Amino acid sequence: MKQVILVNSKDNVVTAVSEILENTTISVNSQIITVKQSISFGHKIAIDDIKKGEDIIKYGESIGMAKEDIAQGKWVHTHNVEETYRPPE
Amino acid sequence: MVTSFFGFERPNGEIGVRNYVAVLPTVGCANEVVLEITRHVSGTVGLTHRQGCLKLPPDLEQVSETIIGLGKNPNIATVLLVSLGCESVFPDKIADEIAKSGKPVDLVEIQKIGGSTNACAKGIEIASEMVLEASQIRRKEYDASELMLSTKCGASDATSGLASNLAVGAVADKLIEDGGTFILGEVCDIMGSEDVLASRAVTPEVGNGIIAMVKDLIVRAQAVGMDAVGGQLTEGNKRGGLTTVKEKALGAIAKGGSTPVKGTIGYAEKPPGKGLYVMPTPGRGYENLTGVAAAGSQLMLFTTGLGAPEGHPIMPVIKLTGNINTWENLRSHMDFNVSGIIEGTETVEQAGERLYEEMLNVASGKLTKAEILKYNEGMEILTYGPTI
Repeated sequence: MKQVILVNSKDNVVTAVSEILENTTISVNSQIITVKQSISFGHKIAIDDIKKGEDIIKYGESIGMAKEDIAQGKWVHTHNVEETYRPPE
Repeated sequence: MVTSFFGFERPNGEIGVRNYVAVLPTVGCANEVVLEITRHVSGTVGLTHRQGCLKLPPDLEQVSETIIGLGKNPNIATVLLVSLGCESVFPDKIADEIAKSGKPVDLVEIQKIGGSTNACAKGIEIASEMVLEASQIRRKEYDASELMLSTKCGASDATSGLASNLAVGAVADKLIEDGGTFILGEVCDIMGSEDVLASRAVTPEVGNGIIAMVKDLIVRAQAVGMDAVGGQLTEGNKRGGLTTVKEKALGAIAKGGSTPVKGTIGYAEKPPGKGLYVMPTPGRGYENLTGVAAAGSQLMLFTTGLGAPEGHPIMPVIKLTGNINTWENLRSHMDFNVSGIIEGTETVEQAGERLYEEMLNVASGKLTKAEILKYNEGMEILTYGPTI
């Protein structure tokens, strides 16, 4: 049973495709990562350490900016990601 | 891998995947006659809508162009137009323009012929002859490059941006590689990723055209005091895992694949060449599907998470889902299952290859669930301005 999907090889997050309990290990690109929080279906987990101000990368593109440092294995969502979309003037 | 299908050749060389006799009203007041004709004659399809009058000239022009485009779609063998007589579009002009494609066109006018009953009788007589002729056209084998596919997502969920949209993107890439055409739309879902899409445009001008579509949507929402961007990411989206508008939009434009954007086209406008084009369609199905059908799209790939059932009168719509529950519970409406991508039993590439094959099968005559259940009778033409 698959646990996470890595959409693009450039991404620094994966998306959970099942409920993942805290302290579960997942395998991403031959790397073993410990999930530090319980993650719901459809939610994202950092697969690298992401520094405050860095881009969250999914689909090979920036989907937003880290509001704070996000450790590998942590949940990535509205609480620690800032929307960087600016509509056209 | 097979890259051909069996279709119907039209006089102008375009290839259809269906062989309809279309009964097409030039105004909503003719709908009752259209429906009566289609009830009586097999092989006909009615394209009822509620436009043709009491809109401002730019909208009337768009309505007229869309009706012409629908009539020219290669899935249609012959066209019977039904007019009231006093509408604000010009039935003779519409008939002439459709006839330029080489297909037979006829016209019945309710006020001229003495009312709806006479119009029905005459229409049934004409449509019957049309169907007899059309039924003698045979499917022949053609290259996939003759296909113009379109796509839409509806009732999306977390599986859409992870599975079904990506599978469609794989098909878009393959079809374009094989010489075909693909239309991406839904400006509300491009909004958030228009810079990414624009960066893939063949010229800066095309890129600016994409950005302009998004700006136009934002301005029109502002005109009624609404914030299009603020409303785009719902609480339901966030509960489901979507964090930003950018993330949602990137998941949506994945349906268009990865090839360069060749150009932007207007609503209902036929692409000027092969490749990937972007049309400013809304997220709403009635107008969205009608716009691409009028541009000449023969077939649509429609991703759904929760299960949207609707199709279109003249354009088969393949419903695919990455949600196993939707596939099981709504099998009567779903055509194709890509939940294997979620389960890890299939890659996006593998699902895309299977979907390409399914697409060619449907092009060759395999019916979609929306066609089987007749869940394909609603359509509407997009207008922008006020109703007078």
